[in-house]
Amino acid sequence: MPQIAIVGAGPSGCFTAQALAKLLPEARIDILDALPVPYGLIRYGVAPDHQGTKTVIRQFERLFERQGVGFFGDVRLGETVTLDALQGLYDAVVLATGLSADRRLGVKGDDLPGVLGSGAVTRAFNDYPDTAPVSIGEQVVIVGNGNVAVDLVRLLAKGAGEFHGSDLSEAAAGQCGRVRRIDVVGRSPSDQAKFDPVMIRELGRLEQAAIHVHGLSGEGKVVEALEHLQGHAPDGATREIHFHFGWTPEEIEGQAHVTAARFRQGDARLVLPCDTVLTAIGFEGTTPGADAEGNIGPGLYATGWLKRGPRGTIPENRADAQAVAARIAADLATVPAGKPGRDGLLDLVPQAVHYAQWQNIDAAERADCPEGRVRQKIATKARMLAIAQQTGES
Amino acid sequence: MQIAVLYGTETGNAEMLAEDIASHLSDHDTSVTNLSDFDPAAFDRETFYIVVTSTYGDGELPASAQPFAAAMDKARPNLSGVRFAIFGMGDSEYPETFNFGGKRLEEILTGAGAERVGERVTHDASGGDMADDLALPWIDAILSTVDA
Ligand SMILES: Cc1cc2nc3c(=O)[nH]c(=O)nc-3n(C[C@H](O)[C@H](O)[C@H](O)COP(=O)(O)OP(=O)(O)OC[C@H]3O[C@@H](n4cnc5c(N)ncnc54)[C@H](O)[C@@H]3O)c2cc1C
Ligand SMILES: Cc1cc2nc3c(=O)[nH]c(=O)nc-3n(C[C@H](O)[C@H](O)[C@H](O)COP(=O)(O)O)c2cc1C
Repeated sequence: MPQIAIVGAGPSGCFTAQALAKLLPEARIDILDALPVPYGLIRYGVAPDHQGTKTVIRQFERLFERQGVGFFGDVRLGETVTLDALQGLYDAVVLATGLSADRRLGVKGDDLPGVLGSGAVTRAFNDYPDTAPVSIGEQVVIVGNGNVAVDLVRLLAKGAGEFHGSDLSEAAAGQCGRVRRIDVVGRSPSDQAKFDPVMIRELGRLEQAAIHVHGLSGEGKVVEALEHLQGHAPDGATREIHFHFGWTPEEIEGQAHVTAARFRQGDARLVLPCDTVLTAIGFEGTTPGADAEGNIGPGLYATGWLKRGPRGTIPENRADAQAVAARIAADLATVPAGKPGRDGLLDLVPQAVHYAQWQNIDAAERADCPEGRVRQKIATKARMLAIAQQTGES
Repeated sequence: MQIAVLYGTETGNAEMLAEDIASHLSDHDTSVTNLSDFDPAAFDRETFYIVVTSTYGDGELPASAQPFAAAMDKARPNLSGVRFAIFGMGDSEYPETFNFGGKRLEEILTGAGAERVGERVTHDASGGDMADDLALPWIDAILSTVDA
């Protein structure tokens, strides 16, 4: 019976477990995560008002509830356990820890107070445990032309009444409620913007934001979607969104705090006065150098964002996870059995949070949520652990 | 009766539902096939088809159903006498194109002469229902008319 450990319970780790469970029905599969709770960026990245996208979680629940996959939460690779120890216990170890550090702008002033990375902001909006609240002012410049930038625009431009059915918390709503003007600035021309046209179209349903699109050029689905947005002006709009294309960031101005963002296009300059700059220009970190099938070395694999770099959607991770799982299944055909697997891990991390304990947390989050919300995430690790340890009888 | 469950998916929701439908119908001789692995020449009048598909992009078919759509377009098979039921999966967060995937696939099949049995039912990922809770009673009702 092959023993497989997957480190990281985000979509890549879970899809890898799903594919392995199909290919190797006799294998014992355990998923570890640094947090007491599973699902990675599905829970802490995907926007609180895109609950439909989070329904893939139902597939993962089945892994833990019916297919015998183990969950070991609050176990951080490199701190709670070492890679050597895991490799000693398991025939195959799959690293699926993602890459979540915000890429910095790399211009003067990019470290001023008031400049925030999209990862930090989306974690705060998603109640990532123990994250410092972010302070967002009234005039916000968003740098970046990808879907995370659009998520930020939409969350900041929505009024309090537009979050029905989401899991946006009171605390998070308080952080995004004051915005009056948003400027979204991209380096490339509009026809090369990486926006998903469907997400652009969604902005046309904003109830309180007037939208102005400047400097459109070229053609294609994104340009069409942006043309469609131009002039969106609901009655009594309380905020404005401006899109700008083809501007390279030059400097963030300010003394003790951001006061303006300056961009360049040839000899032209664009200076946008602001109190907040959000950078949504991607994430970074080191990939472990896996081959196309995810193999790093004997018995060691990588999948997901960690393997391919911090780009790509949930479906891409699924396809990648299936390819990596196929490679693992082929490799394991020739590995002699006998490693201790889960029994050894239980001894090594006796305090780990197990799936039934996560279910306690999940139930508490659903039960304790305000009107119009589907969930109220527990926002500190200490509270999560306290709920996890309740026996359910009291 | 032979039953073939065909699915089109990107993130696996339709695949899981297809498997659930097949295990629910274990009294029958049932297979589950990804549309990406299904050849239009394999359609068979003795088999009842249950098609499950999600929706992506601008109301397009999910990646795994696209090769099938292209193959249908190329082969133009005559599917008269072939019967199918279709279940769509979508998300009302995309109101303009809600469940267009199911609609497209239905048009492709009926356009080739196949006969739809029962209503095309759709699941909303943003709604409160579990796909199983909609799909299993739906298929039971359909099969009770087909079996007879
Ligand atoms: C803000 C944002 C919004 C997004 N929205 C969408 C969307 O709407 N649709 C879409 O398709 N894609 C979206 N994406 C992309 C999607 O989230 C990623 O493609 C996907 O989550 C990557 O999966 P992963 O499993 O590789 O990494 P992650 O989801 O990051 O999972 C990694 C897991 O590893 C754990 N971990 C990290 N370090 C350790 C360690 N040392 N030990 C143990 N565990 C560890 C983490 O806690 C986490 O649970 C979004 C991304 C972001 C950042
Ligand atoms: C990028 C993206 C685009 C989508 N577009 C649509 C759409 O246009 N219409 C719709 O009804 N659903 C749409 N959906 C929702 C999916 O069809 C729905 O989540 C479904 O359950 C996914 O099933 P699958 O996992 O089998 O692919 C979209 C989802 C994503 C992530």
